[in-house]
Amino acid sequence: MEIIEKIKTNKLTDKQTEIQKICLHKLQSSPLPNPKSELWRLSNKSKFSNFLNYSVNEKHPKSDIPFPENSQNTIRLIIGETCQIKLIKENYSIQQLSENELNKYIKEQIACFDQNENWSDLLNLSLSSTKNFVGLKINGSKIPPIEIFSHASTNSFNAKTLIIFLEKNCDIELLQVNLGKENSSLSQSTFFLLKENSSVNHGVVSYGENRSNLLNSLNVIQQNNSEYNLGALHFKFNYARFEISIKQSAGNAKTNIKGMQLTKKDEQISTYTKIDFNGPNGFLDQINKSLADDKSHAIFEGSIIVPKIAQKTDASQLSRNLLLSNLAQIDTKPQLEIIADDVKCKHGATISQLNEEELFYMRTRGITLPEASKLQLSSYFKEIISFIPVTKDRWDLLDKLLNAN
Amino acid sequence: MGVSLVKVYKANCNGLFLENMVNENLVKDVVKEPYKYGFVTDIETEKISKGLNEDIVRLISQKKEEPKYLLDFRLKAFKKWQKMDEPDWAGLGYKQIDYQDIIYYSAPKQKEKISSLDEVDPKLLETFDKLGIPLTEQKKLTNVAVDAVFDSVSIATTFREELAKHGVIFCSISEAVKNHSDLIEKYLGTVVPASDNYFAALNSAVFSDGSFVYIPKGVTCPMDLSSYFRINSGDTGQFERTLIIAEESSSVSYLEGCTAPMFDTNTLHAAVVELIALDDASIKYSTVQNWYAGDEEGVGGIFNFVTKRGKCLGKRSKISWSQVETGSSITWKYPSCLLLGEESVGEFYSVALTNNLQQADTGTKMIHIGPKTKSTIVSKGISAGNSINSYRGLVKMGRKAAGSRNYSQCDSMLIGDQASANTFPYIKSQQPNSEIEHEASTCRISEDQLFYLQSRGIEFEEAVSMMVSGFCRDVFNQLPMEFASEADKLLALKLEGSVG
Repeated sequence: MEIIEKIKTNKLTDKQTEIQKICLHKLQSSPLPNPKSELWRLSNKSKFSNFLNYSVNEKHPKSDIPFPENSQNTIRLIIGETCQIKLIKENYSIQQLSENELNKYIKEQIACFDQNENWSDLLNLSLSSTKNFVGLKINGSKIPPIEIFSHASTNSFNAKTLIIFLEKNCDIELLQVNLGKENSSLSQSTFFLLKENSSVNHGVVSYGENRSNLLNSLNVIQQNNSEYNLGALHFKFNYARFEISIKQSAGNAKTNIKGMQLTKKDEQISTYTKIDFNGPNGFLDQINKSLADDKSHAIFEGSIIVPKIAQKTDASQLSRNLLLSNLAQIDTKPQLEIIADDVKCKHGATISQLNEEELFYMRTRGITLPEASKLQLSSYFKEIISFIPVTKDRWDLLDKLLNAN
Repeated sequence: MGVSLVKVYKANCNGLFLENMVNENLVKDVVKEPYKYGFVTDIETEKISKGLNEDIVRLISQKKEEPKYLLDFRLKAFKKWQKMDEPDWAGLGYKQIDYQDIIYYSAPKQKEKISSLDEVDPKLLETFDKLGIPLTEQKKLTNVAVDAVFDSVSIATTFREELAKHGVIFCSISEAVKNHSDLIEKYLGTVVPASDNYFAALNSAVFSDGSFVYIPKGVTCPMDLSSYFRINSGDTGQFERTLIIAEESSSVSYLEGCTAPMFDTNTLHAAVVELIALDDASIKYSTVQNWYAGDEEGVGGIFNFVTKRGKCLGKRSKISWSQVETGSSITWKYPSCLLLGEESVGEFYSVALTNNLQQADTGTKMIHIGPKTKSTIVSKGISAGNSINSYRGLVKMGRKAAGSRNYSQCDSMLIGDQASANTFPYIKSQQPNSEIEHEASTCRISEDQLFYLQSRGIEFEEAVSMMVSGFCRDVFNQLPMEFASEADKLLALKLEGSVG
């Protein structure tokens, strides 16, 4: 594990920022997460060491990934390339966060980090250079949709960080695309602050190529009356982890999450979510779908934490899983930790294969078995895809999923 | 106090107070009930010195005149235990147990051999009488055979002759070691191996007594069998071991009850229960656990760290666990089923009630190994006071478990805003041709239902009790008759409190 060795010996980069220094210092005391902890115990060890076995990408070659055509009214940013932005229009503004603002916020976050739970963020912030560090402040209304890309380069480890402040009463649609490259590792950390009355439709689409790895961490803080909608999709990664942490800092907020992961071959993709209600009247509706085929392994662990202060919380979490092969494996653990008594919390989990009766019905109507399976799968996928904003019509995600090998 | 509160409550019945009703002290009062089994029997006992080492293990084995294979089993387990670390993954946060400060063997002094119950120390009989367990002949009216375990030893087993007519062996495990050594050697430790976990290893090294049941081929046990465990000494740990073997096409219903006196120290209870069901056999194992739970400040109480596991070895075999957990300062147990035989069935029905500073971390493991196996989990948790009540369960479908099914339902009810309810279901599947369904919900006592019942003239306390009873109905329905009423009474006692 090349990176860990370098962290231990402090031989990473010469020009370390203050944040990098703090995080590296934290990591040096225990450079790896505890493999026995709930968050890491199912993680495939050889895949995880493979993830850390690349050297940090210092150069930034122009991406050669053919992005779909940009429509005129979307704002596009590519982390590490074109991320200088200053748009001040009549009804909205999008600008870079000042260094002070950035440092202050990140330091506050680091102060509450747990070595295990936030290991991915610590690693990301230790390795993410100024160039790959984007902070945005978004204000106003009628803002055009935003697309933000993070991409890895072959044979290297890439760390990219995104911080977004959504000012009061602001309303945006944002699509984040993480693209893996063959034999590469991408560490993406996103920090979202939703101020009062703001709302976001956030899409996260991550897809890789052969033997690409991803460590994707998403931290969201929701203030009063904010609404956070997340549609997420992860597929085609040799090893990928998606860690979501959402905190409703004072309650009275709405969170909707629809996520999906698709594993084939011997891939391992996992989603970990932690939803923390820190005030009354919180709302959560979450569904996570997995599909595991061939020899792959899909994991979902979701925890909902409702402390005493979070009275009248209404939270539901559903984990639906399709296991399509004898050699594949699915682990799911939706969990509730509740202290407040006046709450409505529920969760559910199912694991099964495609519905045989439905398949039979379609076949009696002259549809072939492969087509019938495809139809069933597309309805399974559509619920999630339709929740991903901005590019759902341009990205032909459904085709990509149905035809992914 | 309860009466006056109810009056105040009634007087306000047309007010807007409904909002705060559940937060009021009323419910807190309702769930308080003193522990009525907390007395100590003053009886001369034979105890060995405190502490645990190889000599103690040898001494226990020697006292029980055990054959060599059993001593070897104990010593092997002890060596393994020494190398193991006490688990902390449940985050129960109890004070470190000093294993050298525990007496591992304590037995009431009595004559060497007892030929009839008349020879049992009357004080002992009186103790069990007080607990409502009929051991004496004249009280053996109910059709339940009882094995009574006092501290480390079994003192009496009733209805033995009657059972023997049917070929059923029901005796203490020490007797079984002497009289049915072949069965013990064949099955002991096959379901829960000595190295299974820290507490199972400890138990395997120092277990003192427990019950042994053997149901021969084709026999339906003519009556329910029951063990009653009583801890009397404050410094003695109880490490009993139960082994139930149901041969082909046999069936048995087994009940287990437990109580302990009130001490301000924590007593360790680390039992191991092993069930084996062969082809077409069925075992129903029911527990009403009412160990002393400690006082309101959480001082004292039993640490109930138990390993219970059943192996459905045969085709179409069935093991059903039902439990009502109301006692113990800390409960840490997961009655499990290993479903090996084709079409075997595992069931788990549980009600766990915690109050004050009690902690219950309980659930089950359903490991589907054979094809077409089925399991059902119904767990109801009720937490009141400052207690923590967690469901932790595992459902696993192995690669060969084609056509298997699981259904789990975990409901929690919270009473008061200081209690906590957690659900941790671990679900793992490696077999596409199987189905797993899990659902869980958490709620509090519905104000609307409470209001409705009260508007029909039902007292507040009775209404709460009715609703809790309704909440637990799915589980109570699974308990044998004798236990169902006891469990209902137990919950009512815990919940009734001082009103009226």
